Amino acid sequence: MNVRRLHISISSPVCMVLVCILSLMGCSPEKNEYKHPKGIIYCSEGNPASFNPQLDTSGTTVDVSSHQIYDRLLDFDLVTGETVSGLASSWTTSEDGLIYTFQLRKNVEFQNTSYFTPTRSFDADDVVFSFNRWRDKNHPYHDVSGGRYPYINSVGLADLISHVKRINRYRVEITLVRAESSFLSNLATDFSIILSAEYADQLQAAGTPELIDTQPIGTGPFKFKSFRQDRYVRFDAHPQYWRERSSTGQLIFDISPSSSLRLAKLMTGECDSMAFPTHSQLDIIRKRKELILDEKPGLNVGFWAFNTTKPPFDNPEVRKALAMAIDKNALMEAIYFGSAIPAASIIPPSSWAFQPDSKSSIYNPLGAAKLLRENGIEEGFSMTIWAMPVERAYNPNAMKMAELMQRYLRDVGIQANIVSYEWSTFRARLNQGLHDSVLIGWSADNGDPDNFFRPLLTCSAIESGTNRARWCSKEYDTLIDKALTYTNQEDRAYFYSKAIELINEKMPLMPIAHAFRYQAYRDNVTGIEINPYGGIQFRNVSKQ
Amino acid sequence: MPRLNLYQEEFYPSPIQNTWKEFKENHAALMSLYCVIFFIFVMIFGPLLAPFDPLQQHIDFLLVPPAWDNNGDISHLFGTDGLGRDMLSRIIYGCRMTFGISLVLVIISMLIGVSLGAMAGMSKGLRSSVVNHLLDSIMAIPTLLIAIIIIAIVGTGLVNSMWAISLALIPQFIHQTRDIVRQKMKKEYVLAAQLDGAGKVHIFFNSILPNMAEMLVVQVTLALSVAILDISALGFLNLGAQAPSPELGALLSEGLASAYVAPWNIAMPGAAIFLMMMSINLVGDGLRSALRYRLLR
Amino acid sequence: MLKIMLRHISLLTLTLLILSFFSFSLAYLFPGDPLVNLTGIRNSSEQGYALLAQQYAMQDSFISQYWQYVNHLFAGNWGLSFSSGLPLAEEISRSLAASVELSAYALIFSFVIGLPLGFLAGLRHHKFIDFSLLSASVIGYSIPVFWLALIAILIFSIQLGWFPLSGRISLLYDIPYQTGFILVDILLSDVPDKEFAFQDALQHLVLPSVSIAIVTCTIILRITRRSVIEVMNSEYIQAAYARGLSPRQVVLRHGVKNALIPILPLLVMQFTTLLTNAMIVETIFSWPGIGNGLIQAIYQRDFPAIRAGMLAVSALVLTFTITIDMVIQIFDPARRRPEHATS
Repeated sequence: MNVRRLHISISSPVCMVLVCILSLMGCSPEKNEYKHPKGIIYCSEGNPASFNPQLDTSGTTVDVSSHQIYDRLLDFDLVTGETVSGLASSWTTSEDGLIYTFQLRKNVEFQNTSYFTPTRSFDADDVVFSFNRWRDKNHPYHDVSGGRYPYINSVGLADLISHVKRINRYRVEITLVRAESSFLSNLATDFSIILSAEYADQLQAAGTPELIDTQPIGTGPFKFKSFRQDRYVRFDAHPQYWRERSSTGQLIFDISPSSSLRLAKLMTGECDSMAFPTHSQLDIIRKRKELILDEKPGLNVGFWAFNTTKPPFDNPEVRKALAMAIDKNALMEAIYFGSAIPAASIIPPSSWAFQPDSKSSIYNPLGAAKLLRENGIEEGFSMTIWAMPVERAYNPNAMKMAELMQRYLRDVGIQANIVSYEWSTFRARLNQGLHDSVLIGWSADNGDPDNFFRPLLTCSAIESGTNRARWCSKEYDTLIDKALTYTNQEDRAYFYSKAIELINEKMPLMPIAHAFRYQAYRDNVTGIEINPYGGIQFRNVSKQ
Repeated sequence: MPRLNLYQEEFYPSPIQNTWKEFKENHAALMSLYCVIFFIFVMIFGPLLAPFDPLQQHIDFLLVPPAWDNNGDISHLFGTDGLGRDMLSRIIYGCRMTFGISLVLVIISMLIGVSLGAMAGMSKGLRSSVVNHLLDSIMAIPTLLIAIIIIAIVGTGLVNSMWAISLALIPQFIHQTRDIVRQKMKKEYVLAAQLDGAGKVHIFFNSILPNMAEMLVVQVTLALSVAILDISALGFLNLGAQAPSPELGALLSEGLASAYVAPWNIAMPGAAIFLMMMSINLVGDGLRSALRYRLLR
Repeated sequence: MLKIMLRHISLLTLTLLILSFFSFSLAYLFPGDPLVNLTGIRNSSEQGYALLAQQYAMQDSFISQYWQYVNHLFAGNWGLSFSSGLPLAEEISRSLAASVELSAYALIFSFVIGLPLGFLAGLRHHKFIDFSLLSASVIGYSIPVFWLALIAILIFSIQLGWFPLSGRISLLYDIPYQTGFILVDILLSDVPDKEFAFQDALQHLVLPSVSIAIVTCTIILRITRRSVIEVMNSEYIQAAYARGLSPRQVVLRHGVKNALIPILPLLVMQFTTLLTNAMIVETIFSWPGIGNGLIQAIYQRDFPAIRAGMLAVSALVLTFTITIDMVIQIFDPARRRPEHATS
């Protein structure tokens, strides 16, 4: 049966509806037409474990809380790395270096939120509370939220401080057990935050003390609004913040664990800045004109450590010869894809203890071979290189690096075998000293150079496992300890430069690279700076 | 001059030959049939065709574009992924997995579903009414949803997802089989066979099954396309095949990580799934049309 | 009619009962302590545990435990999630509303596009436009929906920058939860610049709903087309032509109604397919719906959330299908099925 031809004229209702819909779909709304409320959205990589950075060492927790919600007594200057005043407007040290007296800033207001209204401004009671909470095991708040303060315990701050005393409303005195000039740096780290004693009392009376870490109150530029697991953390601006702020409205952490999703959101503008771009993404960010990539050498170092307790690696000449056999600059491109600078010493350029004219090893295969023969290492000598199985900023691909080094060592007649295990097994065996040499590295916890020199090469660090070279030199230890007894940076820098010379002479390890830290953000955002000394800061960020 | 016909008999094409003749006229369906045959070929001879091992990582060839791009390399025809694994080999093995697994699943569900449906169709009574209604309600739920729910219970993994999907496909077969069997049971030739003293099983295999074979084939193609979609969807959601397995959905999910640097990592596996499904759908459509129109020409 | 309603309601109750029983027994089937799986409260103190055990009647028989569980369900206590520690009832209702909203808009979209095109194809049977629409439809429903979503993101979001790719609304807007339907919530809230928030939410809706709608659109197109072809070939249409009605009158007066009514149930059933596709696509678009929630719960082995999510989704789908079936049977006597399995 045939169907008669139907004439569907253009004006038929069906056609009109179709045309209307198709034309609507053709509309491509301009993004700039809409006036969004003010605010910055930051794509973060994960959920914070709590809103008190003292309870955790994870960078995610620190980034969310430390510089947003809280302040510290001292802060780091982002450019020079010196300690500058924070909530403490000035301070004095006693002659013997044991007593520090801090003059506190006046008229600093705590945040006013839906769950807390402050009745007084910041004063010495808050400082005393904040310190005693983790110092005093019998403090009522010590065990709230677990009672473990990882960073503070690892630097032994609790044992270092003998007591904290309130002198008057705006003056606090802290007495140490022994003089340590890194103390002030420790007060400027992300972990030395100041909490509100008034809020703590309020919570204690209400019977819910653990809220101090999950519904936080501080003096920082942003006040906590809400947190939805795996989705977002919302902050409002703190209108009475004591420092001058740029005109941000809200601050929102958009939690996106997938790094490609973060990049996508950055590209569409749904995020104004993102955390941790991976190596493969760096080029894309550089190519797109609306995105900016900042890079700065981080406070880290990747190195090749020799096991100085095992012959022939106990001979410094052998170690120096091995270091001469490697071409560090080739490693920069192949392993780091240009995102690092070659290291001349273990201290990176962003630290004030950096010595610009210190020279580490130079690539010289002929000289290396000669030196090796002179010291009894013949052709065909075999050694092991232990390579990390995990990716780290200071060494993104230790296995590949070991393979490259294998070829260099073959040129001087050394047979290198690569050894690796699963990460925790790897570290356990390293601690037993089974290695000949290892490719590993170190990221600093704070801006003080002591945080590089001490854990990497002092005798006591062999026990704690961070001294991979298992090197013990009394001369070195003395230099490092002496540096701590001085408070003046120049004096300390002198000792550190001597220490660097000693390292270069004895070569317990060969420093390879300082990796860059990256910050990716959209071009209409200003004020984001890489903080080599700690977590991200949004206080000065504004958007056009 | 008419062709000389030496034989006195006339040529009556069988129903199958009629169907094939009708099917052949539909060019799209014919092309898709060739496509399906190609996929079957790839499925069987995959390991011989693939240039590399799908799990082998070539560290020097990370994220290489396909060969037709400026930066591509002919040794890796479809480029490589973020870990340096050759995409062509992965896709070949992936087609093998996705297509092969779906075939296996459909066959299993068909066997189980047809037997259960036959039993349901040949029985009578109130109890089957309740079962009927329940079955109808379950059939209304999309198979993927049922599969996700089963996976939620038994846990993730390739084998679990296979069980889940075959369980989800069974109701369709039961329903169709039961309907057809009930219909055919009313026919006279079945009555004749019963009068002859044939038992239920004999009736089923000799009278009913041949008459529902075509409908069954159409059902199978439908179920196959659903199975492919479900397997790859579960692989994509990481509920089924897990990385580094080269299943096409899992490939897609892994390609997401480098999607903006290397869009071929998601374009290729997705195109493979799309091609598979389209060819099977077109073959199914062609079969249905052929069955409907074969007697009209 | 009463009989139909009764039959369907009893069927619905029976299925829901089976579902809830299944969900309850999962607490035992999942690894771990059944009480912990039921309530989602881990690390409770001795007294806390004893109190819970009493509330859930753990000492009594299986049946009475099940009865307690059902009571808790109706009271709104669906347990706590392992990963977030929040009450599941609220989480699930929020996510469910988000998914339903997405599927509903996609359904409307596919109706608006699919129905007219289906009519066009059917009325122009075996002409060029029919073939082209048919081929387009085959492509449409052969595309895996997740791939389509990814390609759409790559082109429209990243390359062209027309639409955003994640969430329901820009995070800068904080819309308080009222109904769970974001567009309704925006209108009900007292946020400043409401129309901008509304536009922003619409922009976020486009890509997800279009990507899932395309598949359903093609299915609707095919169903409508087939129905239109059948109707136009029927005798009363011939009779209408013989009476002298113009083609346009024939189509409008008889064709549309008679083509649509038999397939309406089929069309509405597409909602369940849409819901399933929505659940897949939610993970790509970071849409906070039940699919995303259920899949995250599966990854994290969050047993209370898995049980509750599963119960919610299956209950929704089954209620929807059985209700639609009931409505169809009430309004269209021709579709009533025999009550008993007749020979």
